[in-house]
Amino acid sequence: MESLTVEKLFELKQKDFVLTLLTKKKGLSKEIPTPELSRPGLAFAGFTDTYAYDRVQVLGETEVQYLKSLEPSARYDKIKNLFSQFDIPCLVTSKGLFPTKELVFLADEHNIPVIQSRLKTTALFHGLTNFLQDWFAPSKSIHGTLVDVFGVGILVTGSSGIGKSECALELVSRGHRLISDDVVHIKKKMNIIMGEANKQLGHFMEIRGIGLLDIETMFGVRSIRMQKRIETQVELIPWRHNMDYERIGLKERFNRIIDIEIPIIYLPVSPGKSIAVIVEVIAMNHMLKVYGHNAAEVFNERIQKEIERKNRIRTYLETDKE
Amino acid sequence: MIKKVVTLANKLGIHVRPASLISKIASKYRSSFLIRKDDMEINGKSVMGIMMLGAGQGSELELVFDGIDEEELMEEIVGLFEDNFGED
Repeated sequence: MESLTVEKLFELKQKDFVLTLLTKKKGLSKEIPTPELSRPGLAFAGFTDTYAYDRVQVLGETEVQYLKSLEPSARYDKIKNLFSQFDIPCLVTSKGLFPTKELVFLADEHNIPVIQSRLKTTALFHGLTNFLQDWFAPSKSIHGTLVDVFGVGILVTGSSGIGKSECALELVSRGHRLISDDVVHIKKKMNIIMGEANKQLGHFMEIRGIGLLDIETMFGVRSIRMQKRIETQVELIPWRHNMDYERIGLKERFNRIIDIEIPIIYLPVSPGKSIAVIVEVIAMNHMLKVYGHNAAEVFNERIQKEIERKNRIRTYLETDKE
Repeated sequence: MIKKVVTLANKLGIHVRPASLISKIASKYRSSFLIRKDDMEINGKSVMGIMMLGAGQGSELELVFDGIDEEELMEEIVGLFEDNFGED
């Protein structure tokens, strides 16, 4: 993960959060170490026992009004006391508030950048949280192909040469959308896993025997997607005689990808089998399950009902001593 | 399992031609072959994966070989890197 400096935050979010830098530029190289935020009201007032100084400090109306209510000399001392004790990454004020000239002066002296935002406090808080959570989200790259099939993000994995790209190509040709072939960058966002395309290199695919294909140029913009939540994994495995494959589907199996459990289906591959159609069916079956319809369970219930009905008739006939 | 760190010396880094050379050689063997760079880990048998690394001159790559013919695979792949893929 790339480290996040205040400068980067400022550059990336200047437009969205309407930011202005109130201090000189020299403090901008400071690093932001955590995705959390802090409201430093109590710290300014003097209670610093549990002060989370290493977070981005958000100053709203309350903090600024409190600072303004103090005598200039008391204000100067309180701020100086705080800034000299704690290595704060940066301060951000909301609603275009100016956090007194003493604070800006002292921040400059301690190399702490002070940034002003025109957003309201709650909006700024949410915006900053989203941005920081996203930046600090655990991520990695995995070997596999991610396709959006009927709106369900399906990660196709399996050893190389088994036909992941061919499967994805067939899906794209049937109107589904490719996110990334062979290498998928994944990121944990809250409790989901997001798979991303490579933004610089675009949507290329390698098909053995042909070489590289540019999917976007070939199939058009409707065939690609930049990111998609991964909802199901399909692992392609070579078909082997006597292997114990899933036949009913009553029990779901899961694979853990960065701490999140993703349902996984092991799909045996053999010549002449259209994997793409099966993957489409997997996507639709997944949707049915999400909407509360599990085919295996429904079938099981019907069988049980039928057995029960037959039992009822038999007991009736057996006890019928006419 | 064998791990080996190599530094890319050729000017253009791993572009299309070296990537296809690496994956072609790796695909001949049964052992698995992973390449790690920064926080990326990709399959060395896939051309797309290798190119996605975007490895330029001077990048450090960790090569991980695992399987029954890992020795031979390692020698051939490392030889390829040392030879700069036949480029300058």
